[in-house]
Amino acid sequence: MKDKIFGVLQRVGRSFMLPIAMLPIAGLLLGIGSSFTNPTTLTAYHLTGIIRPGGIIYAVLTIMKAAGSIVFDNLALLFAMGVAIGMAKKEKAVAALSGAVGYLIMNTAISALITLKGGASAMPANAVTRVLGITTLQMGVFGGIIVGLGVAALHNRFYKIEFPQVISFFGGSRFVPIITAVVYLLAGIGMFFIWPVVQSGISYLGNLVLESGYVGTFLYGLIERALIPFGLHHVFYMPFWQTDLGGTMMIDGNMVSGAQNIFFAELASKGTQHFSLSAARFMTGKFPFMIFGLPAAALAMYKTARPEKKKQVGGLLLSAALTSMITGITEPLEFTFLFVAPVMYAVHCVLAGLSYMIMHILHVTVGMTFSGGAIDLILFGILQGSSKTNWVWIIPVGLFYGVVYFFVFYFLIRKFNLKTPGREEDDRETKLYTRKDFKETEVQKQEAASSGSSHRVSALILQGLGGKENLSDLDCCATRLRVTVNDPSLVTDSLLKESGASAVIKKGNGVQVIYGPKVSVIKSDLLDFMEMENEKPVNMDLSAYMNGTAIPLSEVEDEVFSQKILGEGVAIKPEEGKLYSPCRGKVEMVFDTKHAINLVSDQGCEILLHIGIDTVKLGGKYFDVHVSDGQEIHKGELLISFDLDGIKGEGYETTTPMIICNTGDYDSVRAVNSGKISVGEKLVKIN
Amino acid sequence: MLFVPQTINQGKKDVTMKTFDYTITDELGIHARPAGLLAKTAKELDSDVTITKGEKTAGASKLMMLMGLGIKQGDTVTVTITGGDEEKSCRIMREFFEKNL
Repeated sequence: MKDKIFGVLQRVGRSFMLPIAMLPIAGLLLGIGSSFTNPTTLTAYHLTGIIRPGGIIYAVLTIMKAAGSIVFDNLALLFAMGVAIGMAKKEKAVAALSGAVGYLIMNTAISALITLKGGASAMPANAVTRVLGITTLQMGVFGGIIVGLGVAALHNRFYKIEFPQVISFFGGSRFVPIITAVVYLLAGIGMFFIWPVVQSGISYLGNLVLESGYVGTFLYGLIERALIPFGLHHVFYMPFWQTDLGGTMMIDGNMVSGAQNIFFAELASKGTQHFSLSAARFMTGKFPFMIFGLPAAALAMYKTARPEKKKQVGGLLLSAALTSMITGITEPLEFTFLFVAPVMYAVHCVLAGLSYMIMHILHVTVGMTFSGGAIDLILFGILQGSSKTNWVWIIPVGLFYGVVYFFVFYFLIRKFNLKTPGREEDDRETKLYTRKDFKETEVQKQEAASSGSSHRVSALILQGLGGKENLSDLDCCATRLRVTVNDPSLVTDSLLKESGASAVIKKGNGVQVIYGPKVSVIKSDLLDFMEMENEKPVNMDLSAYMNGTAIPLSEVEDEVFSQKILGEGVAIKPEEGKLYSPCRGKVEMVFDTKHAINLVSDQGCEILLHIGIDTVKLGGKYFDVHVSDGQEIHKGELLISFDLDGIKGEGYETTTPMIICNTGDYDSVRAVNSGKISVGEKLVKIN
Repeated sequence: MLFVPQTINQGKKDVTMKTFDYTITDELGIHARPAGLLAKTAKELDSDVTITKGEKTAGASKLMMLMGLGIKQGDTVTVTITGGDEEKSCRIMREFFEKNL
């Protein structure tokens, strides 16, 4: 169970990488754009002559700010889609579409309920926001993540669902957005009632912070960081920054409320001797861990990455670290370890809380526009002068924080073998077989076994289309598999028809195979099958199918067999009149004359078992068949019993060859055993 | 939106294609041995050969499918040869059927 949870968390973490990869650029755009379009900043630095509304630089900065901020404003949607993509097993594009559908519908359901209740004004302050034009609850990235995870679960459960013919058009991957819509309609209704409870809990925490001095500042920092994964930090810190919860002050004759507003009023005021500590305590603590701490953590992650992965993760970590240092946007970095190593995030929260407290104790008062990067430090700390801000303390504290973060993270990663970027176990590269790998392999085996019959269909289709190498493109419409092949002459209509197609249409390199509405399931199965083939080189064992003596095929006294005209194989001289199945699979056909049987193994191997030589002439006498055409069989199942002495008495050989009819599909078919053998022992190896 | 193709080029089969019908005279039909020989013969040709019995069609070089047709004495099968040197392939297949089946 623990392994399973860990495995899921690791996949969640990995699925975050796609949306996270674009955050650094969005962060830079937003950070630079918003810092230099802030009127207070511009006035304070006498930049209004160069950057002013109406000017080109201002316009460019405004566009940068807007472009960056649209990404952050819709981060939840990006996560809804990105996590769905990352967690979906197959047909990821459908999962992405469903993620968007789920997110829109959930928020719309919430919005409708808000309207019914009397609109946004009837809701508690700061509880409501607008997302994509929808008035909804402030759920932040958390809203997107629950959509992404839920949609992926629905997708993996339903993307291959089959329906009765009449409505089968809606089957397969098409069903995923449909079920998503229904589920997230209900989820939205649920959230409308659950989420406000969470929000009021956070307001309560806010009051606690205010009433407890230095400890309160520590708690503020701790809670603010801890809420980031849930996207709830805005609900928590905004009241401090923007409302009288963060203090009120008379500045230049105006009553100003909220920590950030106080700071900027003081910045604009000429009479400020030192910025107010009571306001800055809710901001300054970000600088040490954002400029020094987190980048050092990134370095620790880089140092502990596997050597062959360093180059790859280096880029991601460096850009994320720079984003944190320069703009104070930390999500790119925090999300890289949050889900794979929650314990590291917990440590990070504590250190962040301490950072706020230390800044409070040292009377450092540097404000910020929205976060604690180098840009804000320069503008609101260094350029203001240390007499007003005590900013110099940030450097030694920050350096100390860098060292602490580096060693704490380095130690934690190594000690607990945390799977931070570049340390994941790539299934294919792992040389050592861990217990977890083993379990996964077992699960895969079971999956393969349960979908055996669809694999047989897929194998037929693939063969009919001239093999995987012949496919250049594969898609489907409502009823047809639409394929572009490299060489149309390799397409075999008869095979495709046998796979269930009602017609095959060829035009140039385009081939359309008509299956009817169930085609989308067939396509999914086919893609699965090809992927499976890709991953696993053929490796099959066939076991002894009789008790007796195994001999090479070349020693069978019949040239059709001994010269391998029918294919490679082996033969057994039986000691008793019983023929068993050499593998798990299906009975393809029992001969009318009961002396031979065709099997297809689960892996698509075509097997002919032929009891005796020339025994077709017995016309079924002495044979008793226990299975029928199309029947699923397991390894070692009794197929045919026969009267050994009776057949010998009529003057026939009872040597029984096993032929691999599709020998040409494999690299090698060879007997790995000979002489005395009993049913179930390994006999033939196919690669 | 469904993606429905505008033109279907169905009637236009390969211009050159040879077929012949044959009624099996061998009393044992196409069992393992002759199926093996037929598949071997068909594989050596440069043409694509299919055998049709009633509604079922099998590639002549696909041994298991060939056996799956369950062809018996008295059954009439259609042999279709496409591509490559059809004249020659057709002649070889006809000879094979007449000699062995």
